[in-house]
Amino acid sequence: MTSRESILNKLRAARQPFADLPPAGGMIPVVPAGDTSPAALRARFTEAAEKLGCTVTHCADPAAAIAHIRDLIGNDSTILSWDLVYVPLPGLGEALADAGIAIAAPGDASVRVGLTGVDAALAATGSLLLASGPGKPRGASLLPEVHIAVVAANQLVPDLETWLAAQRAAGLDSLRRLNNVVLISGPSRTADIAMETVMGVHGPGAVQIVLLGEG
Amino acid sequence: MDVKARDFVPAAQAALSDPALRAAVKRATDTAAKKRLVTMFWAGRAHGEALRQQAAQARRRALRDLPALLEQAEAAMTANGIQVLWAADGDEVRRLVLDIAARHDVRRAVKSKSMVSEEVALNHALQAHDIDVLETDLGEFIVQLSDETPSHIVTPVIHKSKETIRDLFVRELDMPPTDDAEAMTQFARGHLRRAFLEADMGISGGNFIIAETGALCLVTNEGNGRMVTALPRVHVALVGIEKVIATVEDYATLTQILPRSSTGQTMTVYTQMIHGPRGADDDGPEHVYVILVDNGRSDIYATGYAEALACIRCGACLNACPVYEATGGHAYGWVYSGPIGAVITPLLTGLENASPLPHASSLCGLCKEVCPVDIDLPRMLLDLRHDLDETGHTPPVWKGGMRGFGIVAGSPRLFELAERAAGLGGRFLPPRPPLPPPLNGWTNVRDLPAIPPKSFRQLWAERQKAKKTP
Repeated sequence: MTSRESILNKLRAARQPFADLPPAGGMIPVVPAGDTSPAALRARFTEAAEKLGCTVTHCADPAAAIAHIRDLIGNDSTILSWDLVYVPLPGLGEALADAGIAIAAPGDASVRVGLTGVDAALAATGSLLLASGPGKPRGASLLPEVHIAVVAANQLVPDLETWLAAQRAAGLDSLRRLNNVVLISGPSRTADIAMETVMGVHGPGAVQIVLLGEG
Repeated sequence: MDVKARDFVPAAQAALSDPALRAAVKRATDTAAKKRLVTMFWAGRAHGEALRQQAAQARRRALRDLPALLEQAEAAMTANGIQVLWAADGDEVRRLVLDIAARHDVRRAVKSKSMVSEEVALNHALQAHDIDVLETDLGEFIVQLSDETPSHIVTPVIHKSKETIRDLFVRELDMPPTDDAEAMTQFARGHLRRAFLEADMGISGGNFIIAETGALCLVTNEGNGRMVTALPRVHVALVGIEKVIATVEDYATLTQILPRSSTGQTMTVYTQMIHGPRGADDDGPEHVYVILVDNGRSDIYATGYAEALACIRCGACLNACPVYEATGGHAYGWVYSGPIGAVITPLLTGLENASPLPHASSLCGLCKEVCPVDIDLPRMLLDLRHDLDETGHTPPVWKGGMRGFGIVAGSPRLFELAERAAGLGGRFLPPRPPLPPPLNGWTNVRDLPAIPPKSFRQLWAERQKAKKTP
C-alpha cells in the first residue's frame, strides 16, 4: 500500500470530526465594505497603501506620469520591466527609449529599478495584485530595490473578496492558468533583529505606486 | 529534530534565571499582542469575533471533509502541472526530497520557513548528502548560523539580542561591525542574494492549499518566499495534510486573518497563490513539487484532538501565554512552543516524550480567546493531563495527594476537622514556609498561602451566634 492510500484510508476510517457544522454561506468581508464609488476606492487605496509604507503619486495626466517615472529611474540606463503592453501608460515605451533606458533580461539582479503594471489593486488593504505570465516576469517586482507599479483607475477593486468573486464568476479556470499570483502589500520588511522594523530585506525596499486618472 | 520536551522543567528554570531572555521575549510578545488587538478589532469587537468564527468554521469544515479535499487538491494541483507526492513520516519526507534533488542534479538549495522541515530535520539530511542548504528567512538564517532551533514559529530569534546577532555576523560572515539593525539586514541581504541566484532548488512550506483550484498559498514579509519559489529551477513545498482548505472564499478569510492575528499586519507583504511551474516565455521554476506530509497528523485526526489540526500557525497563543512569556520557546524542547506546542508536541511525538508540557499552563484561557480559529487549547491541555494519568504518567505523590484530598473533601465532617487542624498548625508555621519532602514539590515553585487561624465556617457560625445575642 502506498503512503497516499494508507493516509487516506486512515482518515476515512476515523470518526468524522465536526460532522454537525452548518454549511458555508453568508460570509462577511474581512474589511467591512464601505463606499465603493471610484473616488472613495481611490481614497481608501491611497490611505491603506501609504500606511503600508508605499508612496502613492496621483497622475491625472499621462505625460505627468511618464515624467514622474523618468524621475524615479533617474540616471539608471537599464531597468527590469514588464512588457510595456501590460503597463497602462501609452507613450511610456517611446519616452524610455528616447531617454536611452533599456530593459534588462528578466533575471538580472543587478538592476536598481523594476517597472510593472498590476492586474488589480485592492482598496481595503492597499495591496497590488500581480499575476505572472509571458511579458509579466516575477523578477521585475522582486529583484530590484525600487518597484514602480503603474495602476489605472479602473483596476481598483474594493477588496480580495471582490476580486476572487470575479474570478469565480469567470469560472476559476482563468485564475488557475495564472502560474503565480502575488498580492504585494508594501515594501519587503522584517523585524527579526531585536523587533526593529527594517524595509528592503529580499524584495524591494521602496514601492512607488503611480495611480493614473482623476484624483 | 530531537524531542527534548521531557526536560521542560529544568529548561524553564534556566530560562527564568536569564533576565535578558525574559526581557526580550516579553517585549516581543507584548508588542505582537497589542498590534493584534488593533488590527483584529479595529472595526469593532463584534466584527472581529464574527471573523474569528468565520475562520474557525472554514478550518473545521475543511477538516471534516479532509480526505475528500486532499484528493480534490491533488487532482487540481496535478492538472495545474504541480507534481504531488505523499509522505507518511519524516523518513519518507527526507527520502522524497533527496530523490527530487538527485533527479534534478541539485547541489545548492535555499529554503524559506517551513515548520514541517524542522519536524523532520531536513537540513541535516540534505547536508549529509552534500547538498548545501541555506535558510533565507532572516530569523531562520540567524538560527542556522548559530546552530540553534527557532524559539517562536513566526519570529524565530526573539530570544536573541541585537548584540548577539552582530557578534554572530562578524564572526561567521566577516561583517564589518555595526550596531545598526538596518545595516545588519542589508549585509544579510547581500549574502543571501548570491545564494538565491546560485541555488538549484527552493524549499518552502505552505500556509494553505486551496482544494478547488489546486493553489499552494504562501505568505512572507521579507520576500524570501517569493525568491525560493521564483528563482531556482526546482521548487519543493512541504505541506502538512491538514493545510488544505475548500474554497477561494475560505482563502480570502484565512489569508487575511493570519497576519492580523500573527504580527498585527493587515496583510503579509507577499501573499502568493502558486498554481504551477513556469509556462512558455514566463519566469519561475521548471518543476514544482508539493509533498503532502502526514508525520503523525492522521493519528490526531482520529482522536478528540482533531481541533488542534485547525491551527494556522499564527503564533497568537504564544504571544498571549504567561508561561511562554516567562520561559521563551526553547524550554518546550521541540519545533512548536507555547500553548499549541504544549498540545501538539505530545500528540505528534508521543505523550511519554513530552509529559511535562500539558502541565505547562495555568489554564488561564487566553490562548483560546486569541486564537483566530477558536481552538479550545485549555480543554485539550486538560484532556492530555487526563491521558497522562490514564497512562501512568502521574507521580505517585500527586496521585496519593489527590486521592486523600478527594476523601477529605467528600465528607463535611472530615473537611471541618482538616480545617481546624490546618488553622491550629498554621499558627506555628513561619510565613511562606517550604514544606518538607515530598510536599516541597508544591512549595518549591509556589508560595504556600498563610493559613487563617479560623475557617470561614467557624467565622460564619460565630457571626450568626453574635446576631442572635443582642
